[in-house]
Amino acid sequence: MATIEKISNKISRRTFLAGSVNAGLFMGFGGLLGGCTEQEAVQSLSLPEADLSKVFSPAVWFNMNAQGEVVINIAKAEMGQHVGTALARVVADELGADWASVSIEHVDTDPKWGYMVTGGSWSVFTSFKLLSQAGAAGREVLLDAAAALLGVDRSMCSAANGMVTAGDQSISYADIVARGDISRSFTQEQLDALPLKPASARTLVGKPTKALDIPAKSQGEAVYGIDAELPGMVYATPLMPPTRYGSKINNIDDSAAKAIFGYQQTLQIEDPSDNLQGWAVVIADSFPTALKAAAVVQVDWAAGDTAEVSEADIFAAGEALARDAQQGALVVDDGDVAAAHAAAEDTHEAVYRTGTALHFALEPVNALVEFTDGKCHIHSGNQWQSLILPALASALEMPETDIVIHQYYLGGGFGRRLWGDYMIPAALAAKQLGKPVKMLWQRADDSRMDCVRSPSVQLFKASLDADKNVTGIEHAAVAGWPTLTLAPGFLADGQKESGKYDTFSISGGDHWYSLSNHRVRAINNNLAQKTFLPGWLRTVGPGWVAWGVESFMNELAEKQGKDAIEFRLSLLDAAGKNSGKAPESVGGAARLAAVLKDVRERSPWGGELPSNEGLGVAVGSGQERTMPTWTAAVAHVAVDPQTKEISVKKIWQSIDCGTVVHPSGAMAQAEGAMLWGVSLALHEGTEFENGQVKDRNLDTYRPLRMSSVPELDIKFMPSEEFPTGLGEPPLIAIAPAIAAAVFAATGERVRDLPISIG
Amino acid sequence: MIKFKLNGKDVQSDSEGETPLLWVVRDELNYKGTKFGCGIAQCGACTVQIDGTPTRSCVIPVSAVADKDVTTIEGLNSPAGLALKQAWVSEQVPQCGYCQSGQLVSAEALLRSKSAPTDDDISRAMDGNLCRCMAYTRIRKAIKTAAQEV
Ligand code: FES
Ligand code: FES
Repeated sequence: MATIEKISNKISRRTFLAGSVNAGLFMGFGGLLGGCTEQEAVQSLSLPEADLSKVFSPAVWFNMNAQGEVVINIAKAEMGQHVGTALARVVADELGADWASVSIEHVDTDPKWGYMVTGGSWSVFTSFKLLSQAGAAGREVLLDAAAALLGVDRSMCSAANGMVTAGDQSISYADIVARGDISRSFTQEQLDALPLKPASARTLVGKPTKALDIPAKSQGEAVYGIDAELPGMVYATPLMPPTRYGSKINNIDDSAAKAIFGYQQTLQIEDPSDNLQGWAVVIADSFPTALKAAAVVQVDWAAGDTAEVSEADIFAAGEALARDAQQGALVVDDGDVAAAHAAAEDTHEAVYRTGTALHFALEPVNALVEFTDGKCHIHSGNQWQSLILPALASALEMPETDIVIHQYYLGGGFGRRLWGDYMIPAALAAKQLGKPVKMLWQRADDSRMDCVRSPSVQLFKASLDADKNVTGIEHAAVAGWPTLTLAPGFLADGQKESGKYDTFSISGGDHWYSLSNHRVRAINNNLAQKTFLPGWLRTVGPGWVAWGVESFMNELAEKQGKDAIEFRLSLLDAAGKNSGKAPESVGGAARLAAVLKDVRERSPWGGELPSNEGLGVAVGSGQERTMPTWTAAVAHVAVDPQTKEISVKKIWQSIDCGTVVHPSGAMAQAEGAMLWGVSLALHEGTEFENGQVKDRNLDTYRPLRMSSVPELDIKFMPSEEFPTGLGEPPLIAIAPAIAAAVFAATGERVRDLPISIG
Repeated sequence: MIKFKLNGKDVQSDSEGETPLLWVVRDELNYKGTKFGCGIAQCGACTVQIDGTPTRSCVIPVSAVADKDVTTIEGLNSPAGLALKQAWVSEQVPQCGYCQSGQLVSAEALLRSKSAPTDDDISRAMDGNLCRCMAYTRIRKAIKTAAQEV
């Protein structure tokens, strides 16, 4: 929980405020600022020139006007998950609002909105309770006001569909807002005491609805960062150094570009924040002109010292680290692995690896920046505004509070836009030029400076008794760590003072199988770390950790001659630390066992298949132990005996993410994540060559296309438990399930991702 | 100066003839629905129709459309186009949405050539349109839904 708490609960004491402002009703839930009291905050609401931002930092806030229309502000990025719809449904359900009168607004950055991040599949998980309480508090305010206006006892009043009813009288929310003079506050204790609807009384949460952002996205009308424009802007594209770190520009020769009509100049970028080392920016009248010029401007660089690093070098460094027992932070240290090893009758060892993978969000990263009124205005789609603002402040040498990021739709996030580095060169160029700069990275550059998924190496050693029962597992996982470079404050402490580690990069190592002797070490690959910027790629750590853990489980089942599902069930006893914790993991490993049994029943598991075909199984419990979504997948593959080409025919997956808030959106996330799993398993991947990623565009980097899409059979387990995350977890089990199916079809054990055989 | 029809209207471009049509449409004529993804005719985000044929506008010089009819998502209002836009909503197709203009423009040409496309027809016609969010299952389903409506 530690990490999520740091991100979601910056303010520990929260207050709910409701007040009549400008003929409407403001309702917000958040922290009081500057030592002001609840009473002062409420009073400041009713002042004609109310500057609420000085006294209140709402984590959730919405307005209702005198027509009863509700605008719910969304501080999360919209990147395909229809997050605004899901969050607004939670508020509106408790509020008793009429859904037809609800709209959403994605807000720009402002310190008053508190910590802004969209990632980790956290949005619903971290906001569900806050949103529910905020909606419930709003409903109480309206009920109280209605009772006074109708002259009835409060206990007679009930709220639904934007109306309060008391006996045969009723009054609409619109009328209450128009007639009421409301100013109220609730303390955290009062909020905690508010009645929340039982699942059976919900009218919006868990019910089918259409996402609010879809119509615009079906007409070409949704506005993305790339679509933003300002009068007087110039177009720009960067010239990138040969290494991420340590490159210096010796000389820039733009004589050939000067012949291009519309070329303006090439700026050398000095970045006080040191995020950009050896960058230049080409400025032109149009984007195609900037591209044309960028192709002929000659930059002479002195490259940094990683200019020759290859994928093989990074793997070799990783394996050496994994084999050095002194390395790494202890993440799990249960029982005595060494003793189990010494007593073992047999052992089994395997090394699992994953190669470099790109985000390849379809909208290349971009930003439009203007300095005006002493402020820096950035127009760009971003997932983690609170991470990039300090970096921008140090690059621009101006206070964070003078920088505003205006949010747009994101043409794909997948973790790429958690790091807003693409705003920095645009902002520095705009500052230098004194005019608005619209910067777009061409695709190959977007890939080259992507914060890629790090190559990873994992070493597993199992000790077995005479019957091949597992008596212990030692696991070492080595990779570049996103959090180490980008957010070192979020690193966790290993056990027994073994040092710091990136929880995101080992998540899934601390799985839900009961093992009496189990040790997990998380190790940073320092060669990876200095060659590139490791990033968070959809499903992050479990994307490589579970590849190893689940594949190794399949190997151990095979070794024991046991069915891979039976073998897992024997370890999923939900005992001790695996019994789970309320509310987020109530039931523990028993829920993982339940989805596994469910998928066994729904798939032809154990049945006969034609030759060269096979079924494989794997499970997931991502994103973290503290927010598990329970998944189990069975994949059916066919392998061409001649070409060895692998095709996935069908995947069954059973998913338990607790309460499903927005069913169609949840299903879409599951579909997308599962196909991402197929794509990363079989279709896409690159490698480092001369210090940079080799495959930079779709001619050689080849994500899954329509013709290779397998049939998907997805089931959400009916549940009223606390909602967990969904954007990433359904990806986790896919690659190991496919690899197991390939083994079943061919007898070939695959240990490298992406998978290829023959 | 190059003259052509964009979504049924006469337009002209002052850009140099070799300028990719994509940037003329987006930045000069200000139709932003058409998107940039790869720049090498491999993702389909920039798909427009030239005289009814789906074409990757990122690699077509504007000079090549002189006197031709260019249709973008904004002008995709044939019966098939409207049915598709509606099916995109009823089947809840878009995720991030960035690829969807290109998907719709490709799908409309498919439906005009085949009123009841098979799965293979759909795969063939749509394989050049990458959906990074991988909304493929719903794209396929919505094309079939739209085909029944036309
Ligand atoms: S931008 Fe034209 S096909 Fe990708
Ligand atoms: S919906 Fe995001 S790329 Fe297709």
